[in-house]
Amino acid sequence: MAGKYESDPEWASVTPIPLDDGEESGAMPLASIAYPTEYLEATSYLRAVMAANEMSERALKLTQDVISMNAAHYTVWIYRAKILFALEKSLEDEVAWLNQVALKYLKNYQIWHHRQVLMSSRKHFPTLPPKEQDFLMDMFAQDSKNYHVWTYRHWLVRHFKLWDHPREIEDINHLLKADVRNNSAWSHRYMLRFGPRDDQLDAGMANAGDMSTTPGEKGVLAVVDEDMVDAELLFAQEAIVRAPENRSPWWFARGVLLASGRGLTEWEEFAEKFVDGDAVKSSHAIEWLADAYADGERDIQAAEMLNLLKEKYDPIRKNYWDYRMKMLDIPAH
Amino acid sequence: MPPIIAGKNRRKVRFLSKPPPSSSTSNQNQPGVSRPTPSSSSSGKMTSQAPRPGIPVLFTQPPPIRDPLVTETVDLQDATLDKCLPFLKGIQSSQQGPFNACGVPALQRDDHVVYLFDSLEDYPPSFVILDASRPWMAYWGLAGLFLMGEDPTRFRERLISTLRPAQNSTGGFGGGRGQISHLAGSYAAVLALAIVGGEDAYSLIDRQSMWQWLGRLKQPDGGFRVCEGGEEDVRGAYCVMTIISLLDLPVELPPDSPARNAGLHKLTDGLAQYLSRCQTYEGGISGSPGVEAHGAYAYCALACLALIGPPEETIPRQVQHMNLPLLVNWLSARQYAPEGGFSGRTNKLVDGCYSHWVGGCWPLLQSALDGKPQGKGPPATTVGSLFSREGLARYILGCCQSHNGGLRDKPGKHADSYHTCYVLAGLSAMQHYHYRTDSSATTSEHFASAFSWRSTPIREGNVYEKSDRLEPLHPLYGIPYPRADEMRLWCEARPIAP
Repeated sequence: MAGKYESDPEWASVTPIPLDDGEESGAMPLASIAYPTEYLEATSYLRAVMAANEMSERALKLTQDVISMNAAHYTVWIYRAKILFALEKSLEDEVAWLNQVALKYLKNYQIWHHRQVLMSSRKHFPTLPPKEQDFLMDMFAQDSKNYHVWTYRHWLVRHFKLWDHPREIEDINHLLKADVRNNSAWSHRYMLRFGPRDDQLDAGMANAGDMSTTPGEKGVLAVVDEDMVDAELLFAQEAIVRAPENRSPWWFARGVLLASGRGLTEWEEFAEKFVDGDAVKSSHAIEWLADAYADGERDIQAAEMLNLLKEKYDPIRKNYWDYRMKMLDIPAH
Repeated sequence: MPPIIAGKNRRKVRFLSKPPPSSSTSNQNQPGVSRPTPSSSSSGKMTSQAPRPGIPVLFTQPPPIRDPLVTETVDLQDATLDKCLPFLKGIQSSQQGPFNACGVPALQRDDHVVYLFDSLEDYPPSFVILDASRPWMAYWGLAGLFLMGEDPTRFRERLISTLRPAQNSTGGFGGGRGQISHLAGSYAAVLALAIVGGEDAYSLIDRQSMWQWLGRLKQPDGGFRVCEGGEEDVRGAYCVMTIISLLDLPVELPPDSPARNAGLHKLTDGLAQYLSRCQTYEGGISGSPGVEAHGAYAYCALACLALIGPPEETIPRQVQHMNLPLLVNWLSARQYAPEGGFSGRTNKLVDGCYSHWVGGCWPLLQSALDGKPQGKGPPATTVGSLFSREGLARYILGCCQSHNGGLRDKPGKHADSYHTCYVLAGLSAMQHYHYRTDSSATTSEHFASAFSWRSTPIREGNVYEKSDRLEPLHPLYGIPYPRADEMRLWCEARPIAP
């Protein structure tokens, strides 16, 4: 039986390039796949139009057909993007189609890179499309920690300069209200507040890779808005009170204090509230105190905290706590 | 004796030949059955059943502090605990023994070897989604077989015939014929060819055009795109350094590389700075600058730095690279109890594949902390292992072995080639002490450190049996140590002019 492309007059002019999975050489190929007939035919025509660098409507339709059978076929995505721009297609339509594909295949690099390629076009998208953040929230409703989507959202913030766009922080607040342990949301929040802006190179920590600064300055901002810092610290404290054994806000707060050049000691009193004899409510509070005491050269107290972690509250990390203990200046016993 | 590989669909036949798991315990913890409803009583059912003797309470009880506030993260974590605990306690009916005095089940060698041999054979039509990943399938299977003590060189001819149509005349390998070259596919192809070794395998690679292609992927900010028109991330950086160091490609950028317009001259220019920009406030490393810290990307970044130069020089903060204390802390926090395995990110679940991605970071950091190698043997003093090898062994052997053969993410998930390879790689990594010496297989000014690693089995304090010990893999390349040296030296004898 003739395949759908073979029997289609629109494709009569194309000589398909068949699959070669290595079998022709005589040796049995490894990890060969019993490809469905439809896929074999479509990819044979794909090879042919790609070899001719054909930019056409029929090729565009073909890419959609191949994607519907194998969304992880990175080659077809890159070819599709080229055609879209060459034929000056509506990228709004493409995004609308892409939304459906993205919701179907949650773990896929290609879909999100393709979206970024489309959205990079200043000609088509001079400003943020109004529904873009809504769609990302639809994605987060499926998987609130989807790494591809968060990577894209971070790119989007930089591309459209959205650090102070109200929707960004609103969405983060919404996600953290739903799950205060969403570390992806905490990370995004940190970049909104403390990430490099405008034409500065992107980085997770200030001064990273900058040879003109000293190593100790990695993560430390030259200028900070102290009111904003205080507000973020308060936000983290409120999150900690809701769920003290949640690593995310404790480490977010460390990042905030580092960025602002302030030490851990200002939270000592707060942390101590969670470490009260037998009623310890947070191993992260113990660790905070260990670091704050060590910073303040109160090494014996620091060792007590590290011992608590090692013996009782985080013993799977015993070797690490021992290593930390060795770095303190206390006499061996 | 290795099993003989018959024709198609052998796996299906084998799986059906297995007796079904006993129904003596509740089936809610068996793979493929929907997960138990998370409850605030948290694993109460499981804790009521006594574990096998020899298992510390750390690995049989929920953690000591539990917040009253339940969110989705907690629900997922509790469901994972409910599934893992019977396996950790050694009381899950589908587990196969024998169990040793530490309550740890033996590695089911025969089943995993059969699974790995099968993984190199035919796949049914539903596996069409792996069409772009065939070089990976070859690498995972071959690396896994080597780890299990099998001889992967027997697959040399078949590998070459698999990869030949995937190579493009413009340089690099794609997933198959007609697919554009991709760094992931090229990395897997080069490693697989190194594993089988030999002149025929090495000479398949068009090194000159590979170099030209890598030059086109270099970006002005120091990083690499994974393919022309594709995304830029830390995977790309690691794959490029792996490829140029194994194939002895020039570190200079080809004359037509667009990155030269940005003032760059070498493939390595700006690369360490790019990776430094991927470190986050948590201390870990993200896939690209400004995103959340992630275990798999941490390995790619650290291995990349340890390829560029000696890790005690390229990783620490002296040269603006990584804040090492912060990084060590974050990496250490990836290990959970009672599971014993690693998670990839803060507040995410354990997954067996991080035994390699996170576990594989430890030898690199340990070596960076131990400093410049002083002799031909292990360093006189070492910071030692900074994670719990016992915990990881318990998770891998207790929770990650699928009763049909193959290894998996966690109980309830199916085995696949990817997890089988990387769970075994993680088991192997923590069974050996990997260190650098002051002598290298290469006399080249570049990458000498990468070829100075050695390993020795760790014989003390193991909770697994000697018969469960796997072969060692090179900590940067994920291939047998001698195969890395051999490929490098073969290529050095056939230099490519920049």
